[in-house]
Amino acid sequence: MSKNRSKKKISRREFLEGTGTAFAVAAAAPTVEAQRAAIHPAAGEAGAVEMPRTRIRLMVNGVERRVEVEDRWTLVELLRDHLELTGTKIGCDRGECGACTVLLDGRPVYSCSNLAVWADGRSIQTVEGLAQGERLDPLQRAFIERDGPQCGFCTSGQLMSAKALLNRNPHPTAEEVRAAMTGNLCRCSNYNRYVEAVLSAATMPPTARTPRNGTGGAR
Amino acid sequence: MRQQGSAPIKPLKTIGHPTARIDGVERVTGKATYTGDVRLPGMLYARVLRSPHPHAQIRRIDVSRALALPGVKAILTHENCKVVWGAGSISGGQQYDDEIKKITKHRRYAFNNPVRFVGDPVAAVAAVNRHVAEEAVRLIQVDYEILNFVLDPEEALKPGAVQIWPEGNLSLDARNQAQPQVARRGNIEEGLRTADHVFEDRYTTTLVHNAQMEPRACIAGWDGDKLTLYTPTQGISNCRTDTARDLGIPPENVHVICHYMGGGFGNKNQNQDADLITAMLAKEAGAPVKLEFTRKDDFIGVHGRWPTIQYYKVGVNRDGTLKAIQLRGYSGMGPYRKNTGAIGGIELYQCPNIERVVYPVYTNKTVSGNFRGPEYPQGFFGIESMMDDVAYKLGMDPVDFVLKNMTRKAGDEVPYTNYSLEDCIRRGAEAFEWKKRWHPQPGSDRGPVKRGAGLAFMAFRSALGRSSAVIRLDAKGRYTLFVGVTDVGPGAKTTMAMIAAEALGVPLSTIEVVWGDSDRCPYSVGESGSRTTIQTGYAVIQAAEALKAQIAEKGLPKGEDVRIGSATPNPTLPGKVRAAFGAHFVEVEVDTELGHARVLKYLTVHDCGRIMNPLTAISQIKGGATMGIGMALHEDLLYDRRTGQPLTAGFYGARILTHRDAPEIEVIFIESDDGYGPYGAKSIGESSKVPAVAAVANAVFNAIGRRMKDLPITRDKILGALA
Repeated sequence: MSKNRSKKKISRREFLEGTGTAFAVAAAAPTVEAQRAAIHPAAGEAGAVEMPRTRIRLMVNGVERRVEVEDRWTLVELLRDHLELTGTKIGCDRGECGACTVLLDGRPVYSCSNLAVWADGRSIQTVEGLAQGERLDPLQRAFIERDGPQCGFCTSGQLMSAKALLNRNPHPTAEEVRAAMTGNLCRCSNYNRYVEAVLSAATMPPTARTPRNGTGGAR
Repeated sequence: MRQQGSAPIKPLKTIGHPTARIDGVERVTGKATYTGDVRLPGMLYARVLRSPHPHAQIRRIDVSRALALPGVKAILTHENCKVVWGAGSISGGQQYDDEIKKITKHRRYAFNNPVRFVGDPVAAVAAVNRHVAEEAVRLIQVDYEILNFVLDPEEALKPGAVQIWPEGNLSLDARNQAQPQVARRGNIEEGLRTADHVFEDRYTTTLVHNAQMEPRACIAGWDGDKLTLYTPTQGISNCRTDTARDLGIPPENVHVICHYMGGGFGNKNQNQDADLITAMLAKEAGAPVKLEFTRKDDFIGVHGRWPTIQYYKVGVNRDGTLKAIQLRGYSGMGPYRKNTGAIGGIELYQCPNIERVVYPVYTNKTVSGNFRGPEYPQGFFGIESMMDDVAYKLGMDPVDFVLKNMTRKAGDEVPYTNYSLEDCIRRGAEAFEWKKRWHPQPGSDRGPVKRGAGLAFMAFRSALGRSSAVIRLDAKGRYTLFVGVTDVGPGAKTTMAMIAAEALGVPLSTIEVVWGDSDRCPYSVGESGSRTTIQTGYAVIQAAEALKAQIAEKGLPKGEDVRIGSATPNPTLPGKVRAAFGAHFVEVEVDTELGHARVLKYLTVHDCGRIMNPLTAISQIKGGATMGIGMALHEDLLYDRRTGQPLTAGFYGARILTHRDAPEIEVIFIESDDGYGPYGAKSIGESSKVPAVAAVANAVFNAIGRRMKDLPITRDKILGALA
């Protein structure tokens, strides 16, 4: 068995776990307060063998969450399957497409390529955290008005990359927008619209009224 | 923009005004629910084991270690699951039906033995979570007898090639006949013999994947003998019928739900083997199951655009008059014939003598199927490159050559309901400043970075047909529109609401749309063939008329009363053909030292009839043209010829365009109202992709003076052509 296994490809998850260990060692884990939970030999989830778990604490969209995560969970798994934040999408699950982009301490990251345990002590913003109550973020308003989403599957990721860009550069050029969002693929190929929308959001007053659905599109 | 030289179309109240989508807020807040977002109580997770070999007989499958893994609930293989996936092959591009199911020789099962391509499903596992399912897949041991394989359709037809099916590699049609598709008009030999010049050439296109952002997922649950399927499909009605037929249960026992869908471009038509596998796993396990495809599963396990080899012979007179067009073509279908394998394009030209012979051929690559204009982008690349070349060889400006030879009647015989192709080309050439950008001497720019311009044009079907709609009005003045559409990206839901508002003469905000649910919505044609607006949109108008008649007869509803209008029109068009027209003009810049080509300017002119919603229609054109640039310059699902392995199965490998690759696409509409369809609307979705590849390729020729005959036009090929 182990001989066979060693010949097989290393899965992405195993690879992440490996690099994660290296990362934690290299960074001397100053912020990680994680406590490794005991490995329960007893059967866990409806009969499956219990896997190593770690208690982590993180801020998600401004709310503190304490979760016991399986060490093998990716950040996007934690968000979608366990925190019920399904606005973040999985397009490739291997760091190619950007559909799963979230902000980690304000920086855009692919949440499929981060383990959930790495988010311990850190702050996450997802698409669900963009609007202030009923008031949409200017980027969200501009995405509606400029018809950014066609199928909409890459939209959350596009929004989060754009948000990170505007946070550090409130008035980007079109070229800067394309550069900042080039890690976010759109197979509907609505790239022109997304760039228009970000440039438009950059000039919007933050308090403008939220448009109702079905009104006020720009050509 | 109104049609030149004809009466302007009559403006309408809601239709024709740029309108943001009625579900815009859901789309930008993460609230829009896609299939993968659905979770049912007690749901299991499934994974598929796929063949690692391009062609192999399975001698033995041992699932015992996988079954012994704690948390594994069900495993299916070809031994315990004999379901035939009807839409997966065997109908030769025809709609699979009960008759074909009975007689067909080439059945594709959910699990096949032998396996015939890398990615053919071998087994599927349902377990308590996705990690256990992944682990269980790794524990399944399969003993394969490895067979020879063939990847190239021409090689597959040579004597001595490995036979993928007992009847040979020329794919059978719905009547089990192994024949090429043949179309003839006039006398091809006579046309070629009497022409002043005959030109011959060979063009090839590669397998490219739809690569929609949403990987396939499916959730199936049984309540007694009733199946509920959450699945991304471009047609809930067809998906329901096909799934019921495949599983041998009545259609009314299948409930298909697909609200938001993360792109398909033809990859998610009808039902898929994922639906059948998930349904059978759920039955076996006695619990709901969610099957999630990985990105690689999606690239190699579903389908892409069929690769083609196209041999042309064109007879033409000195003045540019076409005398004969002959095509011998080969399409690689993979080992199952999921679609026709046709090669479109000859019909774009007026020509008295035509012969088209196309061989749909089995290979051991992944399956070929629908992808945005199924047979056109590759066919238009071939024929429009060929004709562009002929124009240069005759010393003609390609614009003049096109204006002289382009279609004016369908098949040179049947009139179009309206005709604007000439307007599209003249207006485009003017707006693009063709005379300024085009080089009469190709490759004549000095220095290593050279510019050039090219054009291509299109006509695309906009046929009428059957669909249904229901509208309900309650006493509070709220209208509920029931349409069986899925919102796959073009904005069908918004378009349907706009058509209802227009037809009823009420504000858009009073219309609520119920969609994407086969138990709640009537039949709709499905989001394929660019037909939803034409067919279901027309049904919405008819349902509105029925509702207005009810109101006229019985008055407005009071209290708990409702008034309901419904319609299932099936309009026909005897003696005429409806088509959308368009032309694309492209300027490229080629760095002849690096071999790098990039698009500097891209202008499109389209007649898609009346534009329902300019906001979303422009997005459609921009997106299709941009996709076409990708197919022209980058995209390729490459296979290793020695091992039969797909090498580039993923977004980066297949080189999907990014933000930085995408130029600004300029869009001009020439609107028309031919009196058919909903307010004169014609097809859009596929129109914008079909001429794009040829337009880019022709611009590259104008820049470097070398004809690029094999897609994609990558750096190595450009440098090779210039060496």
